[in-house]
Amino acid sequence: MHGIDWVDVGLSGLKIAVVLGAMLNVTPIMVWVERRGSALIQDRPGPNRVGPFGLFQSFADALKFILKEDMLPAKANKVLYTIAPMFGLIPALTTIAVVPWGRPFLLPGGRLFEPIIANVNIGILLIFALASMGVYGIVMAGWASANKYSLFGGIRASAQMISYELSLTLAAVSVLMSAGSLSLVDVVWRQTGSFVLFNAIKLPAWNIFSPAMWIAFVVFFVSAFAETNRLPFDFAEADAELVAGYHTEYSSMKFALFFMSEYMAMATMSALITTLFLGGWDIPWYNEPPNALGFALSVLAFVAKVSVLLFIFVWVRWTIPRLKYDLLMKLGWKVFLPLAVINIVIVALFIAKRWL
Amino acid sequence: MIPTHWFLILSAILFTIGVCGVLTRRNGITIFMCIELMVNAVNLTFVAYARQFHQIHGLLFVFFVMAIAAAEAAVGLAIFISLFHHRHTIDVDEANLMRW
Amino acid sequence: MISFIIFFFFAAVAVIFAAMVVLHRNPVVGALSLVASFFALAVMYVLLEAPFLAALQVIVYAGAIMVLFLFVIMLLNLQHQAEPHTRPVQQFLGYTSSAAFGLALIYYLAKYGVTKLPEGPFVSDARTVGIKMFEAYIFPFEMVSILLLAAIVGALLLSGRTGAAPPVTGENKL
Repeated sequence: MHGIDWVDVGLSGLKIAVVLGAMLNVTPIMVWVERRGSALIQDRPGPNRVGPFGLFQSFADALKFILKEDMLPAKANKVLYTIAPMFGLIPALTTIAVVPWGRPFLLPGGRLFEPIIANVNIGILLIFALASMGVYGIVMAGWASANKYSLFGGIRASAQMISYELSLTLAAVSVLMSAGSLSLVDVVWRQTGSFVLFNAIKLPAWNIFSPAMWIAFVVFFVSAFAETNRLPFDFAEADAELVAGYHTEYSSMKFALFFMSEYMAMATMSALITTLFLGGWDIPWYNEPPNALGFALSVLAFVAKVSVLLFIFVWVRWTIPRLKYDLLMKLGWKVFLPLAVINIVIVALFIAKRWL
Repeated sequence: MIPTHWFLILSAILFTIGVCGVLTRRNGITIFMCIELMVNAVNLTFVAYARQFHQIHGLLFVFFVMAIAAAEAAVGLAIFISLFHHRHTIDVDEANLMRW
Repeated sequence: MISFIIFFFFAAVAVIFAAMVVLHRNPVVGALSLVASFFALAVMYVLLEAPFLAALQVIVYAGAIMVLFLFVIMLLNLQHQAEPHTRPVQQFLGYTSSAAFGLALIYYLAKYGVTKLPEGPFVSDARTVGIKMFEAYIFPFEMVSILLLAAIVGALLLSGRTGAAPPVTGENKL
């Protein structure tokens, strides 16, 4: 095979290793943040025995998951029962491939290093396509467990997910309209720089500061909660209603896979929200130089924004109660879908009048 | 660059498998799924010819075919559900009130 | 070179899972095999330089239509209904006629198929598709949206129960 650019292949391998490592490490960190954060909100100490500030709690949890007995219910469909957790993990790990996480900079050899694993020009459609695959994991897990409660939990959760996928997609469309491209790299480049408000305040040109996108931001943010099955939309688990919903019958590593895929999906959604609305890797009021220092600072900015959003995910979980299921479906179809469409019209108006 | 007629042959194979399924199976849902398979084989043909002649009209036609297939699947499944509620069987040979 | 390997691998995947749809008894396994087949077809679309359509295929077909199929199968508990065996006469005639049809189709496609490779890249991104859609195909676009509305209303009307509830089967009373 001639003509293969081995440096390119090596750089891609490095990028994949870095992003994969970051995603796989999100789960232990988020477990600790969730438990200490919930303890903070509920005014109790939280885990503080295992290591300083309970930092090694995640390792203890991982060890417990690995050493537990791996069960298979007698009447379950073995093949589907085993592959269902993988369907939850695959979207969470693959959708991060099209999110840019740093500023492109010039390597010493004159090559441009683009910190995005796959710079396809249909970037965000890949995310929506793979997010639709996440529904199959829940449906199969609920059905293959041969358990009434799991089936109920699975069907309710998947109906909720496909309903909120619509408002998620339409809210993202308004951002894409203003950027003029489906690729997330263009969306972030559009948000670098700044604009001046009332001739006095200089704001970074992030989408969240532009009035046309406020409705879209709210709709996208709430739909992200519904897509990742986090409270106040966690009918998949619904502890106290459905035992544990679609993963009642799962134990040890298979349950750990569901658990991990939920946190990874949260991290991916936070990365998507920062890319679409909070300016991605852009540092406010600062023009990053196109070299390694600018790249490092932009990666730090991206990670900081994603961390703030992850903390907000945890905060909302322990603050807001769960909605009733029919109210949730009404919210998705009758409130968010019209709001997202209205926002598309507003953005179109702004673009036509050249205010955007 | 893969020759176009390879894609056409793959499409023909998938279409034939779909036809075989429609003619041989008695489960209504399986017959629906084989119809969707046939529609997808035709979509592949459209895209292959669009690439061959560099005409984007093929892709637009596939777009419309996908939308119509979605509508057809929804209505077809609704019909199947009401048939199932009345006949309590999934065998399409049982839906024979209008036969001779 | 590597595109040939990808083509043969995913063509084999598409054909094998399509055959599983036709041959397997359980409709749930059939639906999931069809999803795998649609994924392989999406890869074919990428090989045909239409990545926008590949993403649409996964979003619409594999992500929405097949979920609908799975919902119907699981909610009606159709996997517990044993499908009666097809009569041997129908099986024989079905297999032979579809095989004859398929062989004739493949023969004529291989004989008269276009063999000249296209030159240059194929511009098929979302912008080009969108511009063509709203210039030449605006009328079918609006008609399709009305058709989808009609389909939604029709599906809602058809699936409302208007008679006695069906008898509850012995197992899995939900």
